[in-house]
Amino acid sequence: MSPEVPPPSRRALLRAGACGLLGAAVGGCGFMPADKPAADRLAPPEPRVDGDLVYFNWADFVDPAVFKGFEKEYGVKVIQSNFDSMEGMVAKLNAGNRYDIIFPTAKWAQRLARGGRLRRIDHARLSNADAVFGTYTYFTDPWYDPGSAHTVPFTAYKTGIGWRRDKIGDLTDSWRDLWNDRARGKVFLLDDRDEVLGMAALTLGLDVSTGDPGNLDRITDLLGDLRPRLRGFSSDSYNNLLNGNAYIQQAWSGDMAAMLNQAEDPSVFGFQAPKEGTPINSDCYAIPWNAPHPGTAMLFIDYMLRPENVKKNIEYIGYPMPVAGSEKVYADLVEPFPECLVTQEDLKADAFFRNGDRAAEEARDTAWTHVKAG
Amino acid sequence: MALLRNSSRTRRRDTSGNRIWVWFMLPGTLWMAGFLVASLLLVAVLAVGTTDELGNPRFGFDLSAVRALADPAYTEVLARSLGYALLTCLICLLIAYPVAYTIALYGGRYKHALIAAIVVPFFANYLVRMYGWSVVLSDDGPLLRALRAIGLADGGTKILNSSFGVIAGLVYGFVVFMIIPLYAALERLDVSLIEAGRDLYGGPVRTFFFVTLPATRQGAAAGLVLVFLPAMGDFVSAQLMGGPDQIMIGNLIQDKFFQGQNWPLGSALTMLLMLVLLIGMLGYLRRTRKDEAEALR
Repeated sequence: MSPEVPPPSRRALLRAGACGLLGAAVGGCGFMPADKPAADRLAPPEPRVDGDLVYFNWADFVDPAVFKGFEKEYGVKVIQSNFDSMEGMVAKLNAGNRYDIIFPTAKWAQRLARGGRLRRIDHARLSNADAVFGTYTYFTDPWYDPGSAHTVPFTAYKTGIGWRRDKIGDLTDSWRDLWNDRARGKVFLLDDRDEVLGMAALTLGLDVSTGDPGNLDRITDLLGDLRPRLRGFSSDSYNNLLNGNAYIQQAWSGDMAAMLNQAEDPSVFGFQAPKEGTPINSDCYAIPWNAPHPGTAMLFIDYMLRPENVKKNIEYIGYPMPVAGSEKVYADLVEPFPECLVTQEDLKADAFFRNGDRAAEEARDTAWTHVKAG
Repeated sequence: MALLRNSSRTRRRDTSGNRIWVWFMLPGTLWMAGFLVASLLLVAVLAVGTTDELGNPRFGFDLSAVRALADPAYTEVLARSLGYALLTCLICLLIAYPVAYTIALYGGRYKHALIAAIVVPFFANYLVRMYGWSVVLSDDGPLLRALRAIGLADGGTKILNSSFGVIAGLVYGFVVFMIIPLYAALERLDVSLIEAGRDLYGGPVRTFFFVTLPATRQGAAAGLVLVFLPAMGDFVSAQLMGGPDQIMIGNLIQDKFFQGQNWPLGSALTMLLMLVLLIGMLGYLRRTRKDEAEALR
């Protein structure tokens, strides 16, 4: 700027800045106490083509061939976007982004359904729903969504221990194996609050979602005892095992199934679902309250539940699906790790991570900070 | 005379020029106000906010998050982060100075190519590069395998999941922010000053400490700030290269937003971190103002 030109008026810039602030404040309105959408907007949609499908899921969670088949059969496009965490997904929904189909985990499905954020789904209008609800009766009335009124289960998985058989031999089918002396300094826990606290709770015979301060003290003590043996908190479970950083790793069953594809010699690895109990989780299909094309979303759910598509997806992502007739596909896929299978009994044991009230969540949060920061 | 006669028209042109400058400043101002100031305000407000029964953050007034900061776990992790960041600054300075010095004073016509060679790898995403390192340095990774083959390491040797790994990651990630300002300062340095120092019987070491170093002090200070700020808030290095005893404040903040769903506490921690950074910045600003005052004298 040449010295002759007087500096721009401060007032003009301040005004502009205020406009910017105002704009951002509107973005902050997501944090205002929200109204529930009117109940009639949540009525179950009819399955019919009403536009392209706006799809929102973890990356790489559906076989691309299935998308192609759906596009061809119904003459619609699948517009994909991905999230990398449940928190990220909900933040985008709350910010007003519109999707036709989303895939929350059980705990988040409960939050969304209770907050009036999900359309109801009438199972009678899905021709393939019986393969799910007729056999996997647990899902006819799951804790997270009474009567499965807003959801259809997509995958189910559990948490166990993956280990290097070639380095430390056999384990004893217990969470106590994390204390194995041969693996000292080569043990990883998942970098996940619920999983770590839940593992210790199961070891002590407590509820996986406990928010009771007395119980949480026992849990942090137990984990404090394990901590010097740990190498880290990491959810990159199969890479840790493959590259030798971990001899023992707390791991999700789906990741262990995926590892079988990557490993040169799968027999050097093991996976166990400890006898004290294993946390169970599931993802489900859900249609947000503001979905622009809920009819196409219904068609998509039904299409995904067709036996041939279930098979393709299971083989592509390595997670089992609660659909009758698909059990063998998955059992073949994870033949070296039979404990990856999620049975009806596993589901009935009901070790799901549940939403706690505010005090319980805060107590769990504090406990996790102490476990992690030491 | 001509000047006088034209003065009224000139002034009018000046004011219209002024308006154009305002328009040029507008995008930047809106951007900063909307995305920096406003989001900081949101964080500050959420620090005293609350969560609803579904765990969603909500505006409100509740000091429990601020009170939770008294937990010694946070102080300890904050102190560790501060230590790591300061050590990173020091190591970056020791690495960057000779590099910048050599390129600026002896680079000749390859100067720009050399600087480009340093900067270009940093176009790749930091997270991806760090992930690459975590693979290279893993227990069965290429480096340790090679070291074991030539007998320089045994089965128990680890590089990952140690303080060494985390600080090495931070240095690797941010050293370029030290090289660039130092290079700029050394470029501007009048080489005859060094010659003068030598003419006055200063040895190479004395000349360096009494002539070169003071003349490039501002570049070093800028580099220290540029390295310190991101290193202090970093969570990637501790996540990928650290173990349970190397958690940094960035990791805890990330946890509050993603795992604990405790946005108020995450916001309060962010404000605490910003406070620490602000104190560091104030020190820097005082220093540069003093330098400027000296330069004008």
